[in-house]
Amino acid sequence: MPNILWMQTGACSGDTMSLLCADRPSLEQLDLQYGVKLLWQPSLTADRSFGDVLAAVLAGDEKLDVLCIEGSLMVGPGNTGMFDTWKGRPKIDIVRQLAPLATDVVAMGTCAAFGGVHAAGMNPTDCTGLQFHKDTPGGLLGTAWRARSGRPVINVSGCPAHPNTITKVLAMIAAGEEIALDQFNRPTAFFASLVHQGCTRNEYHEYDIEDSELGGRGCMFFSLGCRGPQTVAPCNTELWNGHSSKTRAGVPCFGCTSPSFPPDGDLFSTPRIGAIPKFLPLGVVRAKYMAYKNLARAAAPERVVNREMEP
Amino acid sequence: MSRVTVDIDLNRVEGDLEFQLDLEDGIVVDARCIGTLYRGFEQILIGRQPKDSLVITPRVCGICGTAHLYAATRALEQLAGIEPGAHAVHIRNLCLMAETVQSDLRQTFLFFTPDFCNPLYRGHAMAAEIGDAFAQLKGHVVRGCLKRSRELVGIVAIFGGQWPHSSYMLPGGVSQPANSRRLMDAADIVASVRAWFEESVLGGDLHDFLALDDAESLFRWLEANPRRRAAALSLMTRFAISIGLNSIGSGTLHMLSYGVNPQPGKGNGHALAAGFFNGDTRAVEPLDQGQINEHVRHSWFLDYPGGRHPWQGETIPNHLPGSDRYTWSKAPRYGERVVQTGPLAELRIAADPLICALLERDGDNTWLRQFARLRRCAWMLDSLSATLAQLRQEMGEPHYVDPGITTWPDGQSYGLIEAARGALGHWVRIRDGVIDKYQIVTPTAWNASPRDSEGRHGHWERSIIGMRVDNPENPVEIGHVVRSHDPCLVCTVHFIGHGGKTRIGV
Repeated sequence: MPNILWMQTGACSGDTMSLLCADRPSLEQLDLQYGVKLLWQPSLTADRSFGDVLAAVLAGDEKLDVLCIEGSLMVGPGNTGMFDTWKGRPKIDIVRQLAPLATDVVAMGTCAAFGGVHAAGMNPTDCTGLQFHKDTPGGLLGTAWRARSGRPVINVSGCPAHPNTITKVLAMIAAGEEIALDQFNRPTAFFASLVHQGCTRNEYHEYDIEDSELGGRGCMFFSLGCRGPQTVAPCNTELWNGHSSKTRAGVPCFGCTSPSFPPDGDLFSTPRIGAIPKFLPLGVVRAKYMAYKNLARAAAPERVVNREMEP
Repeated sequence: MSRVTVDIDLNRVEGDLEFQLDLEDGIVVDARCIGTLYRGFEQILIGRQPKDSLVITPRVCGICGTAHLYAATRALEQLAGIEPGAHAVHIRNLCLMAETVQSDLRQTFLFFTPDFCNPLYRGHAMAAEIGDAFAQLKGHVVRGCLKRSRELVGIVAIFGGQWPHSSYMLPGGVSQPANSRRLMDAADIVASVRAWFEESVLGGDLHDFLALDDAESLFRWLEANPRRRAAALSLMTRFAISIGLNSIGSGTLHMLSYGVNPQPGKGNGHALAAGFFNGDTRAVEPLDQGQINEHVRHSWFLDYPGGRHPWQGETIPNHLPGSDRYTWSKAPRYGERVVQTGPLAELRIAADPLICALLERDGDNTWLRQFARLRRCAWMLDSLSATLAQLRQEMGEPHYVDPGITTWPDGQSYGLIEAARGALGHWVRIRDGVIDKYQIVTPTAWNASPRDSEGRHGHWERSIIGMRVDNPENPVEIGHVVRSHDPCLVCTVHFIGHGGKTRIGV
């Protein structure tokens, strides 16, 4: 019967909303099927106060199985942590106190995993992730840190994290399953597929039919900033809200599960070398890719060239 | 007379909310509403491409990102003189309404009504049926709310890919057209949510409820039969009135709405009109965004005299603990007046007869704000169906017209929209083709504002000053009043206008 303490730091509440949107399993099923109990969830807990929970856990009166952190860890201004406080105490200090007591720590969303949108550009709040700062190991807790289970922080990245990835990871922890992690400590069960896999614009990509204006049916990789072929995320292998995904709906993938999200530079435009994107699909060799694209374009059927196929 | 200061932190709001109350013999004599988080969003936007605001600003708020996307899109459309077509406008309105009803249902049944199950009310005559309906995560209404709110945002996913946080609205339209499959899926969701709403929330027909136009007919309707008495709206209303929530929590009577559902075509206004309700004259005045300014006298920002319009605004963090500054929120004012915004304001300004009558009868109060939120849900569930029908007529028209802009023109503009919590505005300035300044004034910034440079309290502060707090350890009255305002503190966090990285000596 694992319990969860879910804490928001520098957050928009989007991962909490995502949690509420999960349907396989849902929040209700996490309780019914897996015995997951919410010791504290800022949007949901009604029978106690955060101070009460915090005191009980810190005193050792209450065990802490899973500590979920939603939001960037605000280190500023001037290392005081005062950009984000609870009753005058920096939240980063509370996170540092709770983390060693938890059997597992899960970063819910890209902010807690890597710093996220608040760390973009000049990073005005000096924020960071729990165990990474963007793609550099370290973050608030440091590279060597391990939870009581021996695991590092499990990074369920995404802006927000995919609803069913949130609940499935929690269910896997509750069920005592092995959780294999990738180089950024994301569970490979959810982060070993590209957004490109399952995108309904794939045939356009296959035949090099690329759109240069938004609002169309073609592939958005060459001109419109889509990072689907470089981004590992479950968005097109497990649809959002049971219906769709950004790329299916004509919105470029902005790579929001990646440590570098959001990238600097025009988000709706693909940086290119000549006619070919600067960043190629994961692991592809440029010369071979150019050769393949030339052939692909020549083989494109009229129905694809004419964009007759609905994504 | 004993004066004590108590710190109260409240959850079941969006984000972090703390109040500092000065109590004299149990009465609140002063209140300070504290925004405890600063996120620096605006500085992140400086120097970026204008369209990047469509990706960055929805991330201001996980619960109303669609509204931020809409405001950001409208700001860029105003800048470049782009008029979106009807096809796109209807899709935008559908998505925003789906998000708003989602938020209203969750706010009501996950944030507000759980307080009715507080141990304080264990002996209440209605305790058993309140518990059955509203016990957190267990009550049958709460379970229904979880399921239906989840279903509703499917409409945003159908047209925009995902909820939360997509970027499908674009200057010139939307990223994907409607087609008959998408319309069918969306209509199916609306029908399913509406059926649940009629069964579990109203205990009656949606149109019958919307036709109610005065207080007596409403209260008669809520008591009409056992099925209706057992439904959530009647339970919520009867319990709220039994504990006096219709006579506490009144703040300012001045109200602001930017208008609900912008209509296609230039100058066609909104489905629910924009305007300013003057609480002194009781008249609705035309909206003038030029009257908006923001004060920082009691906020942790570098001081300037009086208030400044968002285009002239300045936001330089200056954290001074122990001073008379107490929040990361600014104090927006409309014509130097404290205003409230949200569903009550929307419906009053649009002259909904029932809301006008209730407001006239009892004034602004805790129950009425919560009631107005469910009233708006009913209106929107009806409007979702009507908008789907209008959209069906526009399917032959383009969903997107590329504005053909390679470099955005220099200039300044704004985008105004009604988010779930009320008036949301984005003010932007473009220079040399990139964002030079971006200022967001959120609904909660209006409602949760601290005192301004004239010492005027914000709406929430005012709504709890004068209240009696029996037990500061379990300040359930404060919870009722504050949660009825639907706080969203994640949105309130303020933004840096321009300039370098800030280092503050504290």
